[in-house]
Amino acid sequence: MIPRIELTGVSKRFGSRQVLDGLDVAVMPGESLVIIGGSGTGKSVTLKCILGLIPIDAGSIKVDGQEVAGLKGAALDAHRTRFGMLFQGGALFDSLPVWRNISFALPGTPADRRSAAIDNLARVGLAAEVADLKPAELSGGMQKRVALARAIAARPPIIFFDEPTAGLDPITAAVINRLIRTFVTDLKITAITITHDMASVRLIADRVAMLHAGKIIWNGPLAGLDACDNAYVRQFITGSADGPIQMPGARP
Amino acid sequence: MIVALVAIGAPVLAALASIGRLTRFAVTALSRLLQPPWYPAQLAQQMLVIGWLSLPVVGLTAIFTGSALAQQIFIGGSRFNAASTVPAVTVIGVVRELGPVLGGLMVAGRVASAMAAELGTMRVTEQIDALVTLRTDPFRWLVAPRILAAVLVMPFLVLVSNALGVMGGWLLATQRLGFNSAQYLATTQRYLEADDVVSSLVKAGVFGFFIALMGCYHGYHSGGGAAGVGRATTNAVVSSFILILLSNLIITVIVFGS
Repeated sequence: MIPRIELTGVSKRFGSRQVLDGLDVAVMPGESLVIIGGSGTGKSVTLKCILGLIPIDAGSIKVDGQEVAGLKGAALDAHRTRFGMLFQGGALFDSLPVWRNISFALPGTPADRRSAAIDNLARVGLAAEVADLKPAELSGGMQKRVALARAIAARPPIIFFDEPTAGLDPITAAVINRLIRTFVTDLKITAITITHDMASVRLIADRVAMLHAGKIIWNGPLAGLDACDNAYVRQFITGSADGPIQMPGARP
Repeated sequence: MIVALVAIGAPVLAALASIGRLTRFAVTALSRLLQPPWYPAQLAQQMLVIGWLSLPVVGLTAIFTGSALAQQIFIGGSRFNAASTVPAVTVIGVVRELGPVLGGLMVAGRVASAMAAELGTMRVTEQIDALVTLRTDPFRWLVAPRILAAVLVMPFLVLVSNALGVMGGWLLATQRLGFNSAQYLATTQRYLEADDVVSSLVKAGVFGFFIALMGCYHGYHSGGGAAGVGRATTNAVVSSFILILLSNLIITVIVFGS
């Protein structure tokens, strides 16, 4: 079976800093891959490279078997129609009410789009009254849910979740995790989630990959995560301060 | 010698690179104005924000400056027994220079900073990336409507600024300096030429372009969190001030220099 997304030897450098250094990873259709790794290891950059927001320096990115690295213009726009994205901070448009945020990329009359937005609000457990509020009037958890509704609104076959539970209390985080898992299962989407939150990993992932020093250093099914003997993965999942992973800028 | 060349060359290359980036940004934004989709609601909103909401500050600036100019011309003119030149010099000074330049500077302070802060915040909170993932070109949605709106409304703002500036001079001259109202207005009308008004409106359009371009450019390329947005805002205001004053000089020399 052809992977839905396949990255081979992807490299990206910002100035003197090599963020991605020959990254290889693949996601099969309908699979939920969670990428874990420390801050600043290039997880968000990986997603942005796949979306064509950041050009790669070397390597190959294939979606449904077709090379997408270097796409421009209409071809790049067409490539992006396959994706939805939940940004870390929500990235809701401050100046627009919730319903216009959710239906931003949807076709149709304003009435149709408003109706579609309210349907999507219901999917993420929010009432229709929220539709006319501005993002600034919502709590952090509600903003994340609205951003989730926007990500699924166009029913894209692939959705990226960038730190979906960052900054949320444990209960709200659990609600967001459950919603993501439900969407992955019910809508049969292919998902890549990047997170530090091990509770999210255990709830969302079919497969887990660990990114360190610009490379995937471990990749396997969720069931194999706890039995993994990779010292980096063990340090990460146990949250230990001692181990091979050093804080960036820490004294040796 | 080589060290000296390197010391000079690096900033020159950096400056040229900045000019190149800015030119590319401007060309991209202008090219988006020529092809659909267009966003008329965005354009209307920006015209309201730039034009209507700038009227109070532009109007007050014009009235105060016109009045002060009339007072100074009266004082200076009295030394040469030429106090009667107040209406003529006021209208020429206001319409040719002070109306467009001060109006432009006031709008730049208000609008370029707001644009840079808004786009900069959108950049650092990933809203611009979100626009792209939602298949919306940020140049079409954010930049082009702002530039077009500024170019369209600035001439109207400057017309108002000119009228109020002249009115400020008339008010002070008739209420404090003893000028006859009808005579003042007749002299003003006699000395005001079509070229003065046309050059004023041309300047206004050019200033509007630079104000929006600088606001959008610095905001769009903002980075580094709140400090980065602050820097973008400062750079937008300073660079639009400089471009307004430079382009004003160039247009004045071209139109009136011969």
